[in-house]
Amino acid sequence: MASVELNDIRKNYGTLEVIHGVSLTIEDGEFIALVGPSGCGKSTLLRMIAGLEEITDGEVMIAGKVVNPLTPRERNIAMVFQSYALYPHMTVAENMGFNLKLSGIAKPEIERRVSEAARMLALTDLLDRKPSQLSGGQRQRVAMGRAIVRDPAVFLFDEPLSNLDAKLRVQMRTEIKSLHQKVGTTSIYVTHDQIEAMTLADRIVVLNQGNIEQVGTPLELYRQPANLFVAGFIGSPAMNILDGIVDADNGQPAVRLGDGSAIRIAPQRKVRPGQPVKIGLRPEHFAPTGAGSIVSGRTLLVEPTGAQTHVLFEFAGSHVTAVVDGDHPARHGAHFEAVADGEKVYVFDGSTGVAL
Amino acid sequence: MTDTSTSIRMSAGTRIYLYVSLSLVAALVLVPLVATALGGFKSLGELRVNPFGLPREWHWSNYLDILFGDRYWRQMVNSLFIAVMTVFLTVVASAMAAFTLAHVKFFGANQLLNYFLIGLMFPAATAILPLFIRIRDLGLLDTYWGVILPQVAFGLGMSILLFRNYFRNLPEELFQAAFVDGCGYIRFFWHISLPLSRPIIATVSIISFVNSWNSYIVPLIMLNSETKYPWPLGIMVYRGEFGTQWQLVLAFITLTILPTIIVFFLAQKHIIAGLTAGAVKG
Ligand SMILES: Nc1ncnc2c1ncn2[C@@H]1O[C@H](COP(=O)(O)OP(=O)(O)OP(=O)(O)O)[C@@H](O)[C@H]1O
Ligand SMILES: [Mg+2]
Repeated sequence: MASVELNDIRKNYGTLEVIHGVSLTIEDGEFIALVGPSGCGKSTLLRMIAGLEEITDGEVMIAGKVVNPLTPRERNIAMVFQSYALYPHMTVAENMGFNLKLSGIAKPEIERRVSEAARMLALTDLLDRKPSQLSGGQRQRVAMGRAIVRDPAVFLFDEPLSNLDAKLRVQMRTEIKSLHQKVGTTSIYVTHDQIEAMTLADRIVVLNQGNIEQVGTPLELYRQPANLFVAGFIGSPAMNILDGIVDADNGQPAVRLGDGSAIRIAPQRKVRPGQPVKIGLRPEHFAPTGAGSIVSGRTLLVEPTGAQTHVLFEFAGSHVTAVVDGDHPARHGAHFEAVADGEKVYVFDGSTGVAL
Repeated sequence: MTDTSTSIRMSAGTRIYLYVSLSLVAALVLVPLVATALGGFKSLGELRVNPFGLPREWHWSNYLDILFGDRYWRQMVNSLFIAVMTVFLTVVASAMAAFTLAHVKFFGANQLLNYFLIGLMFPAATAILPLFIRIRDLGLLDTYWGVILPQVAFGLGMSILLFRNYFRNLPEELFQAAFVDGCGYIRFFWHISLPLSRPIIATVSIISFVNSWNSYIVPLIMLNSETKYPWPLGIMVYRGEFGTQWQLVLAFITLTILPTIIVFFLAQKHIIAGLTAGAVKG
C-alpha cells in the first residue's frame, strides 16, 4: 500500500498536449475514481501512473518516491484492463500466478497465494479452466485476482466493468467495493459512468479535456459542484441549466429568466443585481409543494421508472426534467407544476461557469 | 472453420455443374498421379501398349528394388534434413525479426521491413550467380549449409510478413498486461507471443517446408556429390541412368511423392487451419 502523488503531469502526443498539468494527492488506502467524458484523458493519465505511457513533464510519486523512470513492475502496480487481457493459453491459476512465477517465487508459495486470492473471489472451482471457458463476470474476477495475488502498492482499473451487462456490472461493482474494504489497497479507478464513481470512490476526480475540474467526495461533488461542467456531469438525470439575470423578487434575491419568471436563490450567493448567470435545478430537487418558486409548464414526456417518474416539461423557453414520485399523476400534454427551493438552486457565473 | 455446410438450397442444375466441374479438376490432378503409380507396377512392354489401365501383372519388384536400395533413402534423408533445418531457421529468425518489427519502435524500423520485403520480389534463380560466388567464398559449396542458408534467406521476406501481421493483431492490452506482470520484450515473446502463435508457426513451417522440399535450382548449383542430393536432383540422376526403363522411373517418382502425400493427409486439418488463420478470426 502506498500514497500516490502527481505533480504537474503533462502529456504530449507530438505537438498536441492532451494532459495539461494535473496535480493530485492520493492518500494511502484511498479509492479514487477518475471520471470525465470520452477523450478527456482518463486512460492516458492512468497509463502514465502505471508506467505504460511516457510522462512528458511532471512527476509521479508512489510511496513518496519519484517513479517516472521505473517500469510498471518496479512501480509495483497492478492493473485491470477493460478487455481483461487474460492470457488465452494459460489456465486461471497460471494467469493469476504468472507474475509471481516471473519474479521467481517458489511454486508452493505461488499456489498458496493463488488459492487464497481464488477463495476471496470465488474462483476456486475454476482454477483449471482456460479464459475462453469463463463467463464475462468470471473473467473479470480472474483479472482482479491476477492483480491481488501480488499484493501491489496501487491498483489501477481502466473501465473494468464496461464490457459487462447492466446487472453484472452492479454485482461486480459491489464485489470491487468489498474487495477494497478487505485488502485496503490504494486504488485508482477510471470510468465514464458517474454512478460507478459515486458508489465506489472515496473521492472523485472530474477530468475535462486534460484538466482537473474538481476533486472531492461524491457528496461534495453532488452538493457543491465547483462549476457548470461538474454540475452537469454528476447526477442523473443531469441538472437542468437555465440562463437568467440576477434580480430581486419582493426584496428577496432571485434570478429573472428569459420569459420573465423569477426563481428565488439563496441569499448567501455572491451575486450582484444585473449580473448574467446560469441557474442549475436538480431534477430530484423539485418538490410538489412547499416554500420556493413555482416552476410550471406543459408536460412533454413522462418516463415512469417504477418508484420514480421522470417528467420533461416546458419552462421559460427550455426543456426541464423533474423527478417526481411514481404516483404522480403527470400526463403527456397536461400542465405540470412543482416548487424549487431557493436553497437548492445552484447559481453559476454566466460566462465562466464558476459556481457562485 | 472446417464446417462448410450451408443452408442455402442449390438447384439441381447448380449441383450438377458443381459436381462435373469439381470432378474435372480432381481428374486433372489424379489421373497423372494414378497413372504414374500404376505404371510403376507394369513391365516396360505393357507400359507402351497400356499406359493408363490397371497392370495385367503386378510387378512388385520395381518398387521393392528401390525400397531396398539405399539411393532412395539417402535422398529422402537429404531432403528431410535440408527441409527441417530450413524450416527451423526460418521460423526462429523470422519470428524474432517480426516480433521486433511489430512491437519495438526504433529509428529505421520501416525501412528495415521494406528491405526484407524487397526480397519477396526476387526469386532465388535471379541471384544465382552472386549466390554461388558468396557460398563458394564461405567455403560452403557442396555442403548442406550451402543449400539451407540461401533457402532460409529467400524465405525470410514472406515469413516475416506473415509473422509480423499476426503479432500486430495480438491485442495491445495483452502486451500491456504482460508488461505490468513483469515481462520485458524477450519474456513476452517466449511466454505470450510464441504460445499464441501456433497457427502462424504452422503456416510458415508448411510454406517453407514445401518450398525447401521441392527446391531444385539452389541444390543443383550448390551440390556436386550425388550422396548429398535431395530427391528432385536424385530423380534427374535416376532418370539419366534408367532413362529407357520408364517403369522404374515411374516407381521412383511415386515413392518420392509418397511422403508428401502421407504428411498432407495426416496434417490436413492443421494445414488448412494454418493457411486460413488470421484471414478469418475463428
Ligand atoms: N497515441 C496517440 N496519439 C495521439 N493522440 C492520442 C493518442 N492516444 C490518445 N490520444 C488522445 O488523447 C486524448 C485522451 O485519450 P484517452 O484515451 O486518455 O481518453 P479517455 O478519457 O480514456 O477516453 P475514453 O473514455 O473514450 O476511454 C484523446 O483526445 C485522444 O485522441
Ligand atoms: Mg479510456
